[in-house]
Amino acid sequence: MTTQVTQAPSTSSRVKGLFKNQQFILVLVLIAMVAFFSFKNHIFFTTAVFANVLSDWIPVVLMAVGETFVIITGGIDLSVGSTVGFSGVIAAFAMRNLTSHNVNQNETLAIGLLVAVAVGAGIGLINALLITRARIVPFVATLATLGAFRGLCIVTTGGGPVGDGPENAINLTVPKYGPFNGPGLVVVIIVAVIGLYLHKSRFGRYTYAIGSNTFAARSAGINVKMHLTKVYVLSGVLAGLAGFYLYLRLSVGSPSSGQSGELDAIAAVVIGGAALAGGIGRISGTVLGSFILTTVTSGLIIIGVAPNWKQVVVAILIAAAVFSQGLRNWTKGGE
Amino acid sequence: MALVTDEDVLYEVKNVSKSYGSVVALDNVSMKVRAGEVVGLVGDNGAGKSTLVKILSGAHRPDSGEILLEGKVREWHTPHDAIEAGIETLYQESGLAPHLSVSANVFLGREQVKGGLLGRLGFLANKEMDKQAFQDLKDVGIAVPESNRSVSQLSGGQRQAVAIGRSVAWASKLILLDEPTNHLGARQAGEVLNIIQQVKAKNFGVIFISHTLPHVLQVTDRIVVLRLGKIVADAPTSTFDAEKLLGTITGLI
Repeated sequence: MTTQVTQAPSTSSRVKGLFKNQQFILVLVLIAMVAFFSFKNHIFFTTAVFANVLSDWIPVVLMAVGETFVIITGGIDLSVGSTVGFSGVIAAFAMRNLTSHNVNQNETLAIGLLVAVAVGAGIGLINALLITRARIVPFVATLATLGAFRGLCIVTTGGGPVGDGPENAINLTVPKYGPFNGPGLVVVIIVAVIGLYLHKSRFGRYTYAIGSNTFAARSAGINVKMHLTKVYVLSGVLAGLAGFYLYLRLSVGSPSSGQSGELDAIAAVVIGGAALAGGIGRISGTVLGSFILTTVTSGLIIIGVAPNWKQVVVAILIAAAVFSQGLRNWTKGGE
Repeated sequence: MALVTDEDVLYEVKNVSKSYGSVVALDNVSMKVRAGEVVGLVGDNGAGKSTLVKILSGAHRPDSGEILLEGKVREWHTPHDAIEAGIETLYQESGLAPHLSVSANVFLGREQVKGGLLGRLGFLANKEMDKQAFQDLKDVGIAVPESNRSVSQLSGGQRQAVAIGRSVAWASKLILLDEPTNHLGARQAGEVLNIIQQVKAKNFGVIFISHTLPHVLQVTDRIVVLRLGKIVADAPTSTFDAEKLLGTITGLI
């Protein structure tokens, strides 16, 4: 029974280190993609297209940032796409109601935002209770809420969009600050703050600790159930924000909005370098991962390739990301 | 071996019994640990070792009997009560969070935050913790290259050393080590045993639970043997050899 003494690797050269850095590789992939799409069709390299990519990116990055926290704890949240749809639909009902009572548009939008966030938080809380109290594994618990809330989207709306809300909603998503629209800029700030919080705060530290070794976290006195509850609620809140953003963009609450968004979110997180086993992941990776996803989607459309190819490209990216992760672990000689 | 009087007793259980349903796990067990003493707790599987560890660490409460810390009767409602009183337990299965740094593990659950508003928002004082963790580990003879390095980059022995160092850094009176040399190679186990000697020299009480009898014979001052929930031997380590210890554990002597 001899245990291998794994000496910590000496600091390798800086360049080599850079290529082991997933974020750096992601930036290269992104640049290569932009170059490729622009070369194929120069229209791709314009502010208008960039603004469109950004607008597609906003809801994906919101879902993916929440998913990053969940995945770092070693869990998964399959319900984010349905949360986007349901929060958007319920907010749309609320705003239609307020509009029919001639409530001022800005107030209506503010209340709609609160409703969407509250619905998201509520779904997150249901997930958390199923996972921490009923002890259902996250995959199954959130699979259940994925189905339930997508079903409720259809049931409550009869399958059609919920309109007749405030008329200025759609104007908010028009690019205003360069390629950014106002809400998009707010989302960028939210993502930055949450990223800092994950990497620099006690809350973030516990998120990693739970995913890395739940028993160690618990014996260190961390309230694991409470922490997981907060993480799933955060994921729900961010999906609620994404639901509200899509409402603004379409100016209606669509029962199919956010459909299979959970797959984009998980793909973005995994491409960004997180491990589904928990303990690993960075917001910068998720931001880049989600950006690559939306770039591929727009790029393929613009160069005239059938958009279904997106799924193939994403599949290749996921496989490459996981492969490179295994490669890095292997070169480290650990775990 | 110097004689120690009862006044030196740091931690003690008196006439403790614990049953799970009809299974008697511990039957009227009493044991003492003095400051600066390493007591080995041994016994076969099912002898009641883990139950006794759980009672000593505050994870379980005895059905009857008393727990005394420095002569005062204490009751632990949760492990946290015992930790607050200065008793740290290193569980066999707990280990460290491999993705976190050494200092993040040492400070896990007791993080220091920055001063001012950022601190109130929960932002961590990582540099200070890195420094402090490095010093705390050094104090018990544990040399880690850098305390901001991820634990996954450490060898098995280094990890266990850090885990023990963590317990020592936070304990003020006693540490309970449940199988700390399990799964370690000879050299690494030797390092861990050295650390235990350092801890003892700092006048901590140490309870060392192990199946590896040579380690028990090497590092302890006194050995308590449990068999079928009862204490069958409690004597200075010098009175045991490997054969006698094994015989006492199995009941063949």
